Order: sequence, then structure tokens, then C-alpha cells
Amino acid sequence: MTRNARSDELHRAVRHFATGDRTQSFSDLALGIAEFQREFSPGFARLCRNRSSLSSVSDIPGVPCDAFRLARVAVHPEGEDRLRFYTSGTTSGARGMHAMRVTETYHELALHFGRSALRANAGAHHVVALAPQLDDPPSSSLGHMMAMFMVDFEQRGQFDVRTSERWLIDDRGVDLAGLARAAEHAAKHGQTLLVLATSFALVGLLDALGDRALPLPANTVVMQTGGFKGKTREIEPDELRAAIARSFGIAQAQIVSEYGMTELTSQLYEATVPGSELARERNGQSGVYAEPPWLRVVPVDPTTLEPVPDGNIGIGRIVDLGNVDSAVAIQTQDRVRRVEGGIVLLGRAPGAPPRGCSLAIEEFLAHTPQ
Amino acid sequence: MNDFEYEVRRARLEPLFESARSLADASSARGQQARERLAVSSGLSPQGVDFALQRCLETSPSEAEIAALIRSTPSAQVAHVLLSANVFVAAHRAIAIALAASAEVRVRASRREPEMAELLLAGAPGAFQLVNELSPHPGDRLWAYGSDETMADVATTLPPGVALHAHGSGFGVALLEGSHSVSELGSLLSALAEDIALFDQRGCLSPRVLLVNAEPTAARSLASELATQLASLERRVPRGELTAHELSEIVKYRDTAYFAFEVFEAGSGFVTLSHEGSWLMPPTGRNIHVLTTADPIAALARYRPMLTSCAFAGEPARRQALRCALPGARVCGFGEMQRLPFDGPVDRREL
Repeated sequence: MTRNARSDELHRAVRHFATGDRTQSFSDLALGIAEFQREFSPGFARLCRNRSSLSSVSDIPGVPCDAFRLARVAVHPEGEDRLRFYTSGTTSGARGMHAMRVTETYHELALHFGRSALRANAGAHHVVALAPQLDDPPSSSLGHMMAMFMVDFEQRGQFDVRTSERWLIDDRGVDLAGLARAAEHAAKHGQTLLVLATSFALVGLLDALGDRALPLPANTVVMQTGGFKGKTREIEPDELRAAIARSFGIAQAQIVSEYGMTELTSQLYEATVPGSELARERNGQSGVYAEPPWLRVVPVDPTTLEPVPDGNIGIGRIVDLGNVDSAVAIQTQDRVRRVEGGIVLLGRAPGAPPRGCSLAIEEFLAHTPQ
Repeated sequence: MNDFEYEVRRARLEPLFESARSLADASSARGQQARERLAVSSGLSPQGVDFALQRCLETSPSEAEIAALIRSTPSAQVAHVLLSANVFVAAHRAIAIALAASAEVRVRASRREPEMAELLLAGAPGAFQLVNELSPHPGDRLWAYGSDETMADVATTLPPGVALHAHGSGFGVALLEGSHSVSELGSLLSALAEDIALFDQRGCLSPRVLLVNAEPTAARSLASELATQLASLERRVPRGELTAHELSEIVKYRDTAYFAFEVFEAGSGFVTLSHEGSWLMPPTGRNIHVLTTADPIAALARYRPMLTSCAFAGEPARRQALRCALPGARVCGFGEMQRLPFDGPVDRREL
């Protein structure tokens, strides 16, 4: 069987798995994808070389996120890319790239879990983004996902989402009037308003509002994602959530955090949105990120990369079945702890205290011009 | 500076030199005591401490070097020294510079590595004062060594009128050009392995990348040989204890390199190899990246603000070109990166 035929077969199997088909288990699929990648990704083959076998999910080595900045992480050649997502860059400005040959899997998985986590009811939603206009072709996986949600959640078929009414950040800042108009539109049409936002956009909104409030319909859902990346002042997550809830006049439970990475195909969400399928199933708490059935976060010891006992803090190795053609396991530097219902994120692994005059790697990255 | 003033300053240095000489002598009681205490405070293996004392502590600087150090050091009412951790021998040069500047020298040692300053003082009683906190006044000078972060903190807390000589974070590189016989190459790589292994690579002079103008096959052979040299050296001078953070950085680097580059195991460390373009800054702990590039000097230009030292092997004209391209870096031979002339601060960058 050719590479692409095997890839297509694995993609189909993962999509079936996502719809509840358990003909193949998570482990079977993860190991099958890992074997496939070992055969067609020389980098992954080198990474596997020191592992005795790939007999269980915990044997699959995680590809460090830095690898996406330094090398092509894909089993297929560039000419077969149908989507390329770029990381927003570290402080160095270096950007990683996640190439996709098959987009259907990404779309199906993102929509499946997104609907489960964000839809407060079965009705149509009006979706706007506190984000800059989507570029063409889309280079941001987050922007692409936001555009997908706009079309899918509206439930009226395909339409052009590249309008200023949908993307409420531009060079002048946050379009507060645009958000107010979106709220009116949702109320007028009996739709639920869904606001998709980055954390730093929400801080920008709070700064723009000052002491004012911007009441939104009571059933509005806000999805927040991402860190601050030095773009704005930082606010503790709980404080940001409370401030946004206050400004919009909505319950804090309706503000749901998403965890995603360009290097992944799938996303994690807090299972808190009242009325959502995910909240019914998991009854989650804020701060606890639920994994979709096709993704597992394994907290591992940062010095041995061995899984840590449940409840202990490790760095997150993420096994994402959606990453059929890139890296089925990603090794992040995010500190995580497994709790009932999912994963708690504890931020990046802290740097050691400055050690004399030797240059720390992060410092080097910060200096390196691109 | 007249001859009298020069001689006064020169005389202040001699007790310090004498103290350093006795510490370097492994057969002396002070030398043995130094080895015991520094092995605990530095985290290096006992062999690593001995290696550093034998190879890097300047026990017999030439008069020309001493003259250059004295003449390039501005005088001060009081000279203050803030020492960094890791490269314990650096305390000797730092205190010598301060003694060249003033008869009154106050030294604050690193909390993680307080031993070397105490050992030097014990062998040169009264030469300087060890203090817990520095409190410079206008007209004083402060020589500070450490991370960029520490330097920034120091700069914001100094009273007006205090001159700050800040020496922050940096790293070293090595450049290998020209043709060399097999035995010459072996000697060069053996010497480079020592530069890497000293202080377990925790100093700002330690090389982190080797640039070579070579075909991939030759570069692969060179990287492999360097890995062999590092492994061999480690059998004689074992790596010390690394922190959990350092170990996790090495694990991340190793796996990233396995994916993106070629990797050669080098004892406890790694040699990684890539050709033109991207490379990865190795973490401390005896790791180095070998990068092939058609023009190594041009490739270094972008890292100029961070480069403290550069070992070079190649044509004299290219060495001169390198000096011009990197005016702030010390250009030296392979094996000399950690024992630069005792003629002033090792770090000559304008920070």
C-alpha cells in the first residue's frame, strides 16, 4: 500500500473513531499512526531509534514543539500540502509550521468537539471573533478554526466570513461598536452569541471599556484561548474571567477556555458551558480541560520523559490521533496535572534561576534575529 | 599613570597571585582544601574542580599581561565586585581588576558559590573585604558579573555617580577552517573538548557551536570524532551533578536534535550536526552543535552581541578578518577559550 493510501486509511479510521466507532481502540490507532510515521518521517524514525519498541502508547516518543521550527514535520512532501499553519512565534520570532495533506480530519475533529464544548443549545449561533481579519490563505490554525465555527454554528450553509462585522480587531484596536451590533443581531434573530477571543484581545477589550460595561445577551458564550505573548499586560485567568463576565453581564461559567496548539489537530476545552453536551457529560470545573476521546495528555517527568503518577505534575506529552501526517505525539513544555475530568494547565516549565554568565537557551532565542 | 602609581597598583596584586598559586597546587593543604570545598559548591566532579584549577586559574600571568590589566583599569575610590556562580576561577581575575583600581576592594560572592572568594582571601589576608551586601557611593566603581537579568537589576539599583562595569550573559563559538592533517585535527578537537568540558560548560566563554566550512561527509566525521574526544575526556574528568532544569533542557535538546539534525552521543552529552541554515543552541552540560556553512565568519555576524570568545583554526588572514568582524570577542586558539590572557576582563563586549 502506498504512503498516501495508508495515510488515507488512517485518517478514515480516526474520523470513524471520533464518531464513536470503536472497531479500533485509541491505542491501536495511536500505535498504527506511530508506525506509519516511523516509516515515512526520517526525523521521527531517528527519534524512535533509541526506543526498544513501540508496543504501547507510552512508548511513542513525543516530538518536541521546537522541531516544528527547525524541520519539516510531515510524512509527505511539500507539494502535497493543502493547509499550512504557522505558529505565532516565540519571543525570537521563529515560526513553526504544521502542514496538512488531508484537511477533512482537522475539520471534522475540530467541529465535533467544538460543538460539544461551545454550543449552549441546538439552535443557530451568531459567531464573531475578537481577532484580526483572517488572512488568505489562512496561516493561523486558530483563525481558521474560528472561521469554521462561524460557518458551522450559524447553520445556514456556506457564506463569506471575511467581513469586518465578524472580525472585531483591527489596527485601531477592539471594535466595541461592532460587538454591540453583533449582540443586537443575535438578539433580533433569536440566536446565541458566541464570541471567540484570544486572552490578549480580551484584555484589550477591558482596557478599551475602562469603567464601562458592554452588556451582551444573557446566554452569550465566550471562548478564550492562548496566552499573552508579551502583546499586552497579563491578567490572572480567574481575574480575567471575572472581569469579562462583569463587563458582559454573563455568568462566569459561560466563559470557556480552549487549549490548542498549531502543532496539534485537536483542541481541549473546559466543560463548563451550561447546556453544552460536554458539560452534561463531564460536569467540568473551570480550570480543568477536557480531552476529546481521540486525544490524550500524558504528564511526563521532564528529565526522564516517563509518565508521572496520576495527580503529580509533569510536562504534557499530547497524543493526538488527528496528527496522522505530522507527529502523533507532541512533547510540550507546559506543566500539567491530571485530575478528575481532565487536565489542569500550570503554565510553562519555570526556568531555573539565572546561572551565572552562561547564556540560557530562552535568552538566546530572545536575542536571535530572524 | 606614572611609574610610582603603577608600582603601587602592581604591588596590590602580588598577594592575590600568591594565594591563587597555592590553591592551584594540589599537593598543598590549601590546594586540597580548595578542591574539597569547591567540589561541594560548584557541583562539578572532584576531577572537574581539579581540572579547572590546573587549567584555568591564572597562576603565572606574564608581566605584559599584568601591565595591560593595570593600565586598562580606571582607578576608583572604592572598587566593588559582584561575583557570579559557576566559573569559580573567574573570582581571581575579577578581584585582581578591582585591586588594580583601588586599595579598597569590597567583594560580594555568589550565594551559590561563595568558596573561591573566601579561599583567595584566606591566602591574601586583608587584600580585600568580603561583604554580604554592596553599598557603593558616588565615585566608586562596581564590576558586576552574572546574567543579563542580574546586570539589569544591578543597573537600576545603583546610586547616581557609581560607574558600573557590567559583564552579562554570553557564549563562545569555535571556527574550524582550512586543511588540517588527521593528527592536527585530532589535537584541535581534543583541545576543543577541554574547552567544552571545563566547568561543565556553564561559563560565558564555553563554546556551544562549532562552525566548519566542510562537506557534509567531512563534517559528519568531524562531529563523530569530537563526540569521541568528549566521551574520552569524560572518563578522565566526569561530568558533575546537573540540576533538574539542566537535565530537562538536555532531554528537550536531544529529542529535538534527533528529529531535526544528526546526533552523536558524546559521553553524557551530545554533539549535534546540521548543514547551513537552522541550528539549535545546545544547553550547558557538555553539548555542542556543529554547523557547516560556506562562510563561518558571516554566519557569526548576527550573534555578535552575545559572543564573548571565539576559538579559531585556519589561515592567519582569516583570523584577522574574524577579529575585525567580532571586535568584542576574544579570538584565541582551540583549547585556550577558558584561559585567556590575564590582561583585563575576559568579556570585551560593549554592553
